[in-house]
Amino acid sequence: MSKQIKFESYREMPIRPMTLDNMLWNETGSWRNVKPVYDNKVSPCILGCPAGENIQHYIQLVIDKKYKEAWETIIESNPMPAATGRVCSHPCMGKCTRGDYDEAVNINAIESALGDMGLDNPGWMRESEKAKKKKVAVIGSGPAGLSAAFYLARGGYSVTLYESEKALGGVLRWGIPEYRLPNCVLDRVIESILNSGPISVKAETVVGKDIKLKELEDSFDAVFIGVGLMESRKLGIPNEDCEGVESGLEYLKRVNSGDNLDSSKKTVVIGGGNTAMDVARSALRKGSDVTVVYRRTQAEMPAIASEIEEAEKEGVNFRFLAAPKEIVAEGGKLSKVIFQEMELGEPDESGRRRPVPLEGKTFTMEVGRLFTAIGEKADLDGFVPEIDTEWDLIKVSGEFGETNSKNIFAGGDIVTGAASVVEAVAAGRKAAEKIIRIFIGEADPPKQEETEFGIENINVDYFTKSNRTLKPRISVEEAKNGFEEIFRGFDEQLLQKEVDRCFSCGVCNYCDNCWVYCPDAAIVRKDDRYEIDYDYCKGCLVCVEECPRSALSIEEEGK
Amino acid sequence: MREARIPTEELMGSGHLACQGCGATIAMRFALKALGRETILVIPACCWAVIDGTFPHSAVDIPIFHTAFETAAVTASGVKAGLEMRGDFETTVVAWAGDGGTFDIGLQALSGTAERNDDIIYVCYDNEAYMNTGIQRSSSTPVGSWTTTTPVTNYKKRPKKNMVDIMAAHAIPYIATASVAYPEDLIRKFKKAKAIKGTKYIQVLAPCPTGWKLSPELSIWAARKAVTSKVYPMLEITENGNKLTVWKDFEPTSFKEYIKPQGRFRHLKENEIEEIAKGVESSWQRLLAREKMLASIPGLDT
Amino acid sequence: MKKVVMGNHAVSYGVRASEVKVISAYPITPQTHVVELLSELVANGEIDAKFIKVESEHSAMAACVGASAAGSRAFTATSSQGLLLMTEMLHWAVGARLPIVLTNVNRAIGPPWSIWTDQNDSLSMRDVGWIQIYCESNQETQDAIPQAFKIAEEVNLPVMLVLDAFFLSHTYEIVDLLETEQVRDFLPPYNPEIKLDTNDPHSFGNLASPDYYMELRYMIEEAMNDARSVIKRVGKEFGEHFGRYYDMVVPYRCDDADVILVTSGTVASTTRAVIDEMRDEGIKIGALKIRVFRPFPFKEVSDILCSTKKVAVLDRNISFGNHGVFYQEVKSALYGKTDIPIIGYVLGLGGRDVTPKVIREIADKAIKDKNPEPYINWIGVKR
Ligand SMILES: Cc1cc2nc3c(=O)[nH]c(=O)nc-3n(C[C@H](O)[C@H](O)[C@H](O)COP(=O)(O)OP(=O)(O)OC[C@H]3O[C@@H](n4cnc5c(N)ncnc54)[C@H](O)[C@@H]3O)c2cc1C
Ligand SMILES: Cc1ncc(C[n+]2csc(CCOP(=O)(O)OP(=O)(O)O)c2C)c(N)n1
Ligand code: SF4
Ligand code: SF4
Ligand code: SF4
Ligand code: SF4
Ligand SMILES: [Mg+2]
Repeated sequence: MSKQIKFESYREMPIRPMTLDNMLWNETGSWRNVKPVYDNKVSPCILGCPAGENIQHYIQLVIDKKYKEAWETIIESNPMPAATGRVCSHPCMGKCTRGDYDEAVNINAIESALGDMGLDNPGWMRESEKAKKKKVAVIGSGPAGLSAAFYLARGGYSVTLYESEKALGGVLRWGIPEYRLPNCVLDRVIESILNSGPISVKAETVVGKDIKLKELEDSFDAVFIGVGLMESRKLGIPNEDCEGVESGLEYLKRVNSGDNLDSSKKTVVIGGGNTAMDVARSALRKGSDVTVVYRRTQAEMPAIASEIEEAEKEGVNFRFLAAPKEIVAEGGKLSKVIFQEMELGEPDESGRRRPVPLEGKTFTMEVGRLFTAIGEKADLDGFVPEIDTEWDLIKVSGEFGETNSKNIFAGGDIVTGAASVVEAVAAGRKAAEKIIRIFIGEADPPKQEETEFGIENINVDYFTKSNRTLKPRISVEEAKNGFEEIFRGFDEQLLQKEVDRCFSCGVCNYCDNCWVYCPDAAIVRKDDRYEIDYDYCKGCLVCVEECPRSALSIEEEGK
Repeated sequence: MREARIPTEELMGSGHLACQGCGATIAMRFALKALGRETILVIPACCWAVIDGTFPHSAVDIPIFHTAFETAAVTASGVKAGLEMRGDFETTVVAWAGDGGTFDIGLQALSGTAERNDDIIYVCYDNEAYMNTGIQRSSSTPVGSWTTTTPVTNYKKRPKKNMVDIMAAHAIPYIATASVAYPEDLIRKFKKAKAIKGTKYIQVLAPCPTGWKLSPELSIWAARKAVTSKVYPMLEITENGNKLTVWKDFEPTSFKEYIKPQGRFRHLKENEIEEIAKGVESSWQRLLAREKMLASIPGLDT
Repeated sequence: MKKVVMGNHAVSYGVRASEVKVISAYPITPQTHVVELLSELVANGEIDAKFIKVESEHSAMAACVGASAAGSRAFTATSSQGLLLMTEMLHWAVGARLPIVLTNVNRAIGPPWSIWTDQNDSLSMRDVGWIQIYCESNQETQDAIPQAFKIAEEVNLPVMLVLDAFFLSHTYEIVDLLETEQVRDFLPPYNPEIKLDTNDPHSFGNLASPDYYMELRYMIEEAMNDARSVIKRVGKEFGEHFGRYYDMVVPYRCDDADVILVTSGTVASTTRAVIDEMRDEGIKIGALKIRVFRPFPFKEVSDILCSTKKVAVLDRNISFGNHGVFYQEVKSALYGKTDIPIIGYVLGLGGRDVTPKVIREIADKAIKDKNPEPYINWIGVKR
């Protein structure tokens, strides 16, 4: 601000009518009746991600080619982007604002590219914090357990990881087939987690059998239970136990552990979830003619849509609105299945329309093998009665997985029922963080505020429509002939192409627009931010209007 | 330091007297960023005569000579001659006038300067009416528009004068249109003009919220939609009038959308809007045809 | 070097001698030769200047304003309609305090079209703030130019030099032409401290509130007042350099005159011949030529005229509704100082010849006329 020059006498005035100073004395801010304020929002994708990955932020870092920082940003909320990047159902993309413009940003592919970079650069993983005295037992090495172990170990707490199986990974290991998540990738993911801090593994140790929960409770400062759902649900129809009928889970486990299975028979898979798809496609790869039978229609299938699509492409047959009614066994061996035809009735509590039998309508199929994939359930033997349960799952009281027992936490499928990898990851992290907070006596952070954000908050004039960049893939022909991973990661060029599509919803990405267009030169451009000089801002709101992403808000003057 | 999209030096400072969201001000800010300190401005009567500030204060940190309404071009010619006779061949002299000072009252002097090819940049910041005096029509006011001298009962019936064509007829080395919605393009054009000797004419669309009866925050929006609706084509004429380059790489938007938030067009009826939109399209087609035609003549003096 | 040249060319040579840097002008009869010769002198390098060949007088003055603001010495010449067209920019030059020099060849204003002399064009610019000097000979039209620049550059006001159409502009006389080298001592190159300069940025002429406009006008008035002594000094210095002295007014046989005829321009020469003739007849009559019209030489005029018994003012112009302009000015100069009769005569408009006979007629009439007439004496009008 300068002072206005005032002349007392003409003798002080310049000989010519000319100016001697600038106009900064004229504080035009007084003209304003509303004011623009910088106000970053939470991007919808972040709210969409169960793990709360700061997607907007890491995408911006990728744009700046700050790959390490981008990866670190993911790691803050998810220790296994290479895995989730391959198998996550990516609800984030469902929330992506770009989806209402052309197609959602391929967040999942970006995540997997970064995840792979992280695997290729083990040095990116920072050292864990200095060792603390307290130690934690983690039961189960699925995504929930691994995630909990990672965040605890990273914080310097020693973790003992109990796993009943020989190999770690839970469903990632023995459920999801290699063509989606190769074992070699999973091995590196697990390795990176185990290397991140003081984690010791006790494999082939069944808690409840080999060691009691009570013992763990006594010898550790806290326990996290992430044991997932181990058992397949039964069909509950005659002859279910005859030869030729198998649980899909068991089958997948064997496929994944390399058993050389012969499936070259007419195969039927019962169910509509991810398990059903994985079973069907695995069997297909083993040379079988596969039909998935589902009691509702495709629209109600809980499997990830792209998985269904791939299954179809590969030649899996579908038969909707049918449920097995009876298994016909000949000599203890499966021969036929009688199916009940169904129709859709009123919606049930899941919001999906309930299948109801069409009275008197059945059909029979010759079947060589029948796989059940109608859901998994918990094996709570080692945990009850000590731990309270509900609906055959562990009951937790808060969002951090607190069980009825003071130092025991739980998360993942064992709490939620069959859910997803990322939800398990989130649960593991949240519990770990809560445990740490308890250890150090820190209060819980405030809940993230949910802001409404939609395409109307984007100034679409600044964007041009484009298609989502897809991961390169091997052909369907190649794919169905083996267990080779179908989708390949983005190279840098594809990665850059896709991150460029991100709107950076509600978060300033230093596009300079506000600063560029301010008619009053009232925005000061700093290296890491912008500042509005309210002495001069006239409140025209051009900056707010021209911000492509609503990173500025309007405030009433005097607020 | 993060790289800025446009030069960071601010030669036009805060505290100036323009209305909220004034496009003319944005145009100046961009132009000075392109031209830099070694620039002298000649400003005739127009809003900018006021925006600059009150004696003895100026919001602009380079020399300005305020001159009479119709004399921007020739005063600039005089300044340039004066500088050169003092041995200064470097300073860029810029005449900075409104559309009234260009299309109307200043046309004669501008024609003189252009015909002599005096070495100046002539900028018309086009807000499509006499704003300084309270929104009277100029020959740049578009057909259909209300102004205080073309009331809604007798809105402007004649099309905007084609000033670019008039300038092209002078065979000057550089002519361009620009819009405050496209800062990089505007800056590129000013830099280009600075490097060329002779008379350069740049016509910058500079929305005037006050005069267009437009909410101030939509200033840039309007400057953008004017272009994408083909109302205000972005073009360059080089090689002494022999080469026309029209910018076409945009998603076309509708004329109706462009005029919708502008009160100056509010009185138009549906059929009138359609009629005007047709005119916009045919002007655009003519322009493209001319671009093609010029390109097709072999051996045009370039 | 002495040469027989027409008045218009004498102007051009004056410009050459003054090292003008920017010329901008537009042709109009009877000034055209000025422009033509200047074009030639610039083209052949005798004048190191830029000649901006504009499309109008308005632009000519605008170009001069721009050039002068940029710190270069600027000149233009015009006449009549051209001067009128310039009006707005004449004001601009004053307000911007630019030392531009303009030579105006006095020509009557249309309609009806007339290309012949009278002073209404320049005198209609009397309130603009230009210093105005009326020349009487071709020699003076030349000599006045370096003087004008010297004055202008000292007081930061523009100077208008005026000469009669045809009687000077097209009339050949012997003129001692000024050489640039000689003049340089008298008139050093123009190098103003304040100018358009990117190293010292100022905005010139932007909006002034009522708080300061008056002061800026007052400063112009002050400059105008300062110009009196500057004009005198410069006229003297010029004399010291070149032997030809110039002053605000030129009295002729006024000392014991009972009647003094007040004149300007070429009429002054004719009048002097008539004075000589009448003095030979024993009539105590004198003449006073007003050379500098703005600033008006009040003191010089009243000092001389207060000692006489009757004043007759010859106006080759008419301020419709209130006598001739010189008459008004002389009267105001004498107001309260004397109660002698002051009589005004309007003559020679539109190039009507002002012969010795006409002047003698006026002189005789003036001697007889008892009181100043409330009405205007139009000389030679066919009634
Ligand atoms: C076939 C299949 C495909 C799927 N596909 C996807 C997909 O594509 N995307 C997606 O997001 N989700 C998918 N899911 C769901 C997802 O895998 C699970 O939601 C997720 O793995 C749950 O993780 P978790 O850590 O809670 O449990 P799990 O992954 O089930 O891990 C539990 C671990 O605990 C161990 N354990 C169990 N009991 C004990 C004990 N008593 N002592 C010691 N260790 C024990 C188990 O051996 C296992 O390793 C799929 C699920 C299945 C079954
Ligand atoms: C000779 C003359 N006539 C009229 C005016 C009054 N006047 C000043 S600015 C102006 C209009 C300017 O319009 P434009 O050139 O379009 O500039 P804007 O005010 O729109 O920025 C007018 C008519 C003037 N100053 N001088
Ligand atoms: S556009 Fe980018 S920031 Fe916005 S929701 Fe999609 S991924 Fe997130
Ligand atoms: S306009 Fe660009 S720089 Fe300004 S707040 Fe919005 S995103 Fe950030
Ligand atoms: S563009 Fe500038 S003046 Fe307008 S509201 Fe924003 S900061 Fe204020
Ligand atoms: S009237 Fe229009 S052009 Fe003039 S200062 Fe206001 S907004 Fe700018
Ligand atoms: Mg205008």
